[in-house]
Amino acid sequence: MLTPNEQERYDRQILIREIGQEGQEKLKRSRVIIAGAGGLGSPIALYLTAVGIGMIRVVDHDRVALSNLNRQVLHSEEDVGRKKVDSARTKLRNLNSTVEIQAIGETISEGNVSVLVGDCDAIVDAMDNLPTRYVLNRCAIQKNVPFFHGAVNGFEGRAMTVLPGETACLRCMYRGLVPQEKFPVIGVAPAVIGSIQATEVIKYLVGIGKLLTNRLLVYDGLRMTFSEFRLNKNPKCDHCGSLAKKE
Amino acid sequence: MAVHVHIHTTHRQFTNGLESVAVEGSTVGACLSHLIEQFPGMEKALFAKKDKLLNNVEVYLNHASAYPDELLKAVKDGDDIHLVVMLTGG
Repeated sequence: MLTPNEQERYDRQILIREIGQEGQEKLKRSRVIIAGAGGLGSPIALYLTAVGIGMIRVVDHDRVALSNLNRQVLHSEEDVGRKKVDSARTKLRNLNSTVEIQAIGETISEGNVSVLVGDCDAIVDAMDNLPTRYVLNRCAIQKNVPFFHGAVNGFEGRAMTVLPGETACLRCMYRGLVPQEKFPVIGVAPAVIGSIQATEVIKYLVGIGKLLTNRLLVYDGLRMTFSEFRLNKNPKCDHCGSLAKKE
Repeated sequence: MAVHVHIHTTHRQFTNGLESVAVEGSTVGACLSHLIEQFPGMEKALFAKKDKLLNNVEVYLNHASAYPDELLKAVKDGDDIHLVVMLTGG
């Protein structure tokens, strides 16, 4: 049940026919983990907090640096040196005190990912490296929890949604390790992609719309184009196919 | 008629800024060889070694993933090949 305060707060989105009272209550009952409180994590966390998700768990091991502030809009100058999850918790609670915010300052690894994800209904990828994305992707498949992928570079970005067992996963086109380099980025790129990821999460939790499954959406901010590519589930995928390790 | 190869932003420095290059060939691999004949700088941008694409290069044929064995996929006149670089930042 929504409180009178929540009815008022969410009035404009409850007016959306596809959401309504029932959809808002679904959001309130939902639990989401956001892996990363940086460029992508900032818009994702802000919009999922604003929309009224019941519990949001933010995980990030890093501290705020001045060079983060061109894009990581969860954090401010006064937060430089502070743990990102502490800064995030402050901002998100100020935005919406009815949402439970869990801030966990840990590095995500094969060893702790299952505990970190716990009983969350959705895993949102806001990482800045591929190896941890694959850790999350595998965990999503093992726990049968949807995975919302996003990545950026420069003015570009991409997003896709994974429904374990049903649709192509992040690993389905894996060919080998990709060198990790310091990546260039302007804040508006993760703003676009993070907002798309948050939209996907909301749609999934409410059970509406057409998800970005078996489709890769590629955004080019310089040319202002969105391109869509069809993906196929790989039967031999080592995460979701026949080569997956049985746990 | 020809096959059109769409060049990723970061690779356009090797194609004189061209976003799309017309090539000929009956497979993706042959088309990429023709692309490299025209723009030799594309070889290092696409291949780790002969017939081995870099791990961060994705190939889409007519807007569908060409994975796996991308280079062996048959193409015909009028087809579109998109070369897309995997992104890792966040």
